[in-house]
Amino acid sequence: MRLQNYSSRSAPHWSVIRFLIPCAASYWFALQCVGSVAAVTAKPSAPIPQDAGVSANGEVFFEENIRPIFVQRCQSCHSEKSGKHEGNLLIDSQAALLKGGDQGPAVVPGDVEHSLLIRAVRHTDPNLMMPPTERLNDESIALLESWIRMGAPFPETSSQPTVVNPSDPVEGKSHWAYQPLSIVAPPQPQNSAWSRSEIDRFVLAKLESRNLAPVSDASGKDLVRRLTFQLVGLPPTPEQLLKFDSLPQALATEQLVDELLASPQFGQRWGRHWLDLARYADSNGLDENFLFREAWRYRNWVIDATNADMPYDRFLLEQLAGDLLAYETIEQRDRQRIAAGFLEIGPKVLLGVDPNRQRMDVADEQLETIGRTVLAQTIGCARCHNHKFDAIPTADYYALAGIFTSTTVMEQRFMLNEQRVMERLVGLGENGEQIDDDYESFYRQVNSLRQHVEKAKAALELLKSGTEEAIAAKLASDSDGFCDASRDAAVTREMRVAAQEAYLNEQTKKLANPPGIPPRAMIPRDAESVVDEHIRLAGKFDDRGELVPRGFLQVLSDTPAAPLPTNQSGRIELSQWLTDSSGRSGALTARVFANRIWHHMFGRGLVRTVDNFGRTGETPSHPELLDHLASELIRNGWSMKSLIRQIAVSRTFGLSSSFDSANHDVDPENILLWRGNRRRLDPESLRDAMLTSAGTLDLQPVNSTVDYLGDQATAVGNNAVRRRTDFNFRSVYLPVIRNDLPELFDAFDFANPQLTTGARPRTTVPTQGLFMLNDALVMKAAEDTARRVLAENADQPLDVQVARMFELVINQPATPEEAALVATWIQSTETQSGSSPDPNARQKAFQLACHALFASSRFQYLE
Amino acid sequence: MKCNRFQTAFCRRDLLRTAACGFGQIGLAALANQSQASPIPASEGFQQLSHTVGGAKRVIFLFMWGGPSHVDTFDYKPLLKDFHGRTATAEALRGRQPPGGTILGSPFKFKQHGEGGIWISELFPHLAKHADQMCVLRSLHTDGSAHGEALLTLHTGKSNLVRPSVGAWVSYGLGAESQNLPAFITISPPRGHGGVQNYGSGFLPAAHQATAIGAAEIPVANAKISNLSNPVLNQSTQRSQLELIQSLNRSHLRTASVDPGIEGLISSYELAFRMQSEVPQIMGLDGETKETLELYGIGTVPTDNFGRQCLLARKFAEQGVRYIQVSTDYTWDHHTKNNELLPKECARVDQPITALLTDLDRRGMLEDTLVIWGSEFGRTPTAENQDGRNHHPAAFSMWMAGGGVKGGYTYGATDDLGFQPVDKPMHMHDFHATLLHGLGLDHKRLTYRHAGRDFRLTDIFGNPATEIFS
Repeated sequence: MRLQNYSSRSAPHWSVIRFLIPCAASYWFALQCVGSVAAVTAKPSAPIPQDAGVSANGEVFFEENIRPIFVQRCQSCHSEKSGKHEGNLLIDSQAALLKGGDQGPAVVPGDVEHSLLIRAVRHTDPNLMMPPTERLNDESIALLESWIRMGAPFPETSSQPTVVNPSDPVEGKSHWAYQPLSIVAPPQPQNSAWSRSEIDRFVLAKLESRNLAPVSDASGKDLVRRLTFQLVGLPPTPEQLLKFDSLPQALATEQLVDELLASPQFGQRWGRHWLDLARYADSNGLDENFLFREAWRYRNWVIDATNADMPYDRFLLEQLAGDLLAYETIEQRDRQRIAAGFLEIGPKVLLGVDPNRQRMDVADEQLETIGRTVLAQTIGCARCHNHKFDAIPTADYYALAGIFTSTTVMEQRFMLNEQRVMERLVGLGENGEQIDDDYESFYRQVNSLRQHVEKAKAALELLKSGTEEAIAAKLASDSDGFCDASRDAAVTREMRVAAQEAYLNEQTKKLANPPGIPPRAMIPRDAESVVDEHIRLAGKFDDRGELVPRGFLQVLSDTPAAPLPTNQSGRIELSQWLTDSSGRSGALTARVFANRIWHHMFGRGLVRTVDNFGRTGETPSHPELLDHLASELIRNGWSMKSLIRQIAVSRTFGLSSSFDSANHDVDPENILLWRGNRRRLDPESLRDAMLTSAGTLDLQPVNSTVDYLGDQATAVGNNAVRRRTDFNFRSVYLPVIRNDLPELFDAFDFANPQLTTGARPRTTVPTQGLFMLNDALVMKAAEDTARRVLAENADQPLDVQVARMFELVINQPATPEEAALVATWIQSTETQSGSSPDPNARQKAFQLACHALFASSRFQYLE
Repeated sequence: MKCNRFQTAFCRRDLLRTAACGFGQIGLAALANQSQASPIPASEGFQQLSHTVGGAKRVIFLFMWGGPSHVDTFDYKPLLKDFHGRTATAEALRGRQPPGGTILGSPFKFKQHGEGGIWISELFPHLAKHADQMCVLRSLHTDGSAHGEALLTLHTGKSNLVRPSVGAWVSYGLGAESQNLPAFITISPPRGHGGVQNYGSGFLPAAHQATAIGAAEIPVANAKISNLSNPVLNQSTQRSQLELIQSLNRSHLRTASVDPGIEGLISSYELAFRMQSEVPQIMGLDGETKETLELYGIGTVPTDNFGRQCLLARKFAEQGVRYIQVSTDYTWDHHTKNNELLPKECARVDQPITALLTDLDRRGMLEDTLVIWGSEFGRTPTAENQDGRNHHPAAFSMWMAGGGVKGGYTYGATDDLGFQPVDKPMHMHDFHATLLHGLGLDHKRLTYRHAGRDFRLTDIFGNPATEIFS
């Protein structure tokens, strides 16, 4: 807390701060002390007051934009790294730049015009032109100017937090994310007319503090498209567009949001966000890619629960402990059990692994998934040693691990002709468990049954044609295959033959009519014996240390937890602890979840590291707003829909994505939300939107889309039956085979289904271009869309047809230039298609144009 | 401890995300190219960015899927014959723990080759002529006695957690030398035993995943890269269509003023189109002389398929691909009839591999191409099913050539029967550290921040065998 002392001093010399607090420039450390940050990062002459969000991200800005310029263009002459000190100027640190070289300070933070660095790189002063050989491009110069305007933030490369013992849960309680929620009244911005909601007041006040103003509202068409894609993952319908136009924008927004939240497509979109976290898949992945034939039930449970707006605390409880909960009906029992499949669907090493190691590995995978998903904590780091950055000692890891090693997700099952350790399955319905047992026992016995039938056949032959002696000898040596009646030498041979024939028929029939797979699901249970775990030294499963009672994270607990029950794993108590809104744990859970919702709505969380709220994660750009959202979530009974609604109807969410160079100079990354973020469609929306344009998308929920696959989802060899993608269902139902994702998903940054993914990567790579140019899915959708446009507008002139195509594909009119461009292109393509008039020329040209429109940024981006 | 210049300056996920992405602009090497109209020569970028002095710029990894027997190929054990048919008791092994069973002597003749005197069995007659370019590693050991586990350990360093593959790490660390090709290509990869994960990017950005050509069971002559060509449109129609797409994109960009995303999209289409025309040319064998085709055994049984794969590897290497893996089909898992089946498999690959070394050498590329031959594990010195050998992760052999490794050199040794390493044991982590070292990358400094900490290929393990490099 030395930082706070300095924060009260006026304009200390920067180098003094550095001397006393060597790591002050480490942004994430500085930001641990929320509230004291402003002064720490304020530079002596910075005209713009710094705040947490921008100072943190200013240093990210430096790493992304400025350091590459320095390394590439300056370092070779001005760095300790190159050993060259030309003009006695070094660019290795902010201090070095402030000190400058022979001509004086190179940088004056906040003052572009007086910074020699800028004068030099502009090449306007013939006596000072750097780099001397080739001028930087304009973009680089603009970035340098923005950086100086931001106060020239420059992180120290060698800085480390001065936390004495990072894993100490007592010291760790001061970390920002572990604080109880602070209740801050929404501020009163100067512009009192702009805000539409409390969220807007938080956002606007922060913008005003930086002398920024939000850009204009998005156009109605842009906003409708943004809302429908964000809330239901689909383009707007013509009715939705019409209705929106007929009402004032605020009212129209509210009505549309309510309609979308109530539609069953909402869960198909937002359930998928959860499935990313839950590492949902239809197969095991890892070493043996066995099919998870029943995982779809969990997927559909997530979609249904999301549609029902199941409160988040209940949503977690059912997934962590659904098999242990009370129920009133069998249906309810089964639904809750299916939810707990969450614990089973992780990837596991299945072959050649020590069962004790497997037990620890499975618990680790569950713990890591829950830790990152619910708490945004990297608990798994504490498996082998105390956490190096966060307040999680190894003892806490094993306290939690005990809960999961006291839970069973594996069982012995007969599959692919072997008894194997596989994910546990349980029959559904009234007599489900019995039916499942019958099914399993049939397959356990099928090989011996097959042999038995062969023997029964041989026995029949013998009875028909053998001598009494031969039959007696056979019966004496091996009577298997003979039925009781046919063994009886006292009756006639005919009777014996008849009995054996009947028996053989019966057995053959049994073999020929195996029972079908009964309804069942992946369901865990508590282990036979509930045990506390020993710490495993260095994480080795067979190297036992101290025994730790099952429990939760100390850093998030103010009072010691009551001992967990000795007859249950403790999963119910864990879930209750996670969502205990009176404690630190519940506050963190609410913050993490509210931030995830914000992330999906805006494309970026208030905390950008959505899965890491630990010391190595980032800090919130709007801490008060984050706590406000978390409090609102709890206040509304953990309702996801109500929080989404609050965000969706805000004016902030409805901002246009237009560029504003003054704002951009100060906040190039739009951290402060002065505009809407332009976003690329994810692969599910991309496909669903193309099929919608084509008129071929089926919105209905479906069950399994992997039931035609064998027990191995991918196997050694030619994989004759592979996962299909030629469905017309929504993309959320496409098979998610680990290590064999649909090409669409592979190309467009679908979540890696083996890991919790809170923020999907966003890449722009040529394989995406190849997909859009060549994949059959895109070509077929373009063909269908073109046919639809032409059929519905057969008698219309070309410009009307083109306009209709734009409406179908990008849900708004083309600009006049773009409409003309496409119409001209279609005409010229039509006439080029051959010497004799081709009756299909227009269709062909239209589908090429439509294909181009799908490939264009207008379609692939949301404004 | 975790901070070094490279990390802070280069290992930033966001840099990778926001960079307008051509393949050549990915990875540490990206920095050299970024915002430059013309990329600086890749070699310069490489020199600038490598951690240590390494001789190799790229890797060709020849993967023998299934696990060839080390004691029949590169680890000569004369005593095995003497003990043939005897029970492998602890006593016979002087206390070391054998897996049990009956000793199966190798029927194959071994000879020392070249000036370095490397022992190679008669199963590799062609390769033996290159003994003085080879460095045989005889003390490898790994985790996992099942193929799936061992493949994942070989390719990602870890079997029970999802991790980036070696090639993805190399792509991340060095980027691509070519603007038009990915940094990591896998030719005929296995679909089972971890499948895609063996060449996946794990938590690294997806662009570092390998581009796959075909699959192990598909003859490479019929293999394709998905979506590399349009099944319907001819090139001029597609070019015209691309122009329309780009006109629409530019129009959008004008209204957006500044948008790196749209700019990136525009350049990604240009790259895609260039790949589309260039990659098939590389994959075709038209430009190759008859002599070259014969050298690789293309057109002759049984070398045709692996010969094509090796030639393709050379062509990609020539074009600047950093990491090229070539896989056989799942044909080396000789639980029965080892003595009958092993020679057949060796005959498929011996001439092509030798041709690859010759071809790289005469093009001056061997010195900076690290060629590695290996598998997920070895096979037991004892018999299974009378005449087969079982999986043996405890000891096996690989070899390297080119890329600055010492030729005619043997590293490490197993005991007298080939059960356990007794000299300089090389765990898979050590192997990975060595491979990276060969590329000038320090395995401790090639890190990526994920889930709150810095990850590396070798986890917290690994010692590079620096002595094998000259």
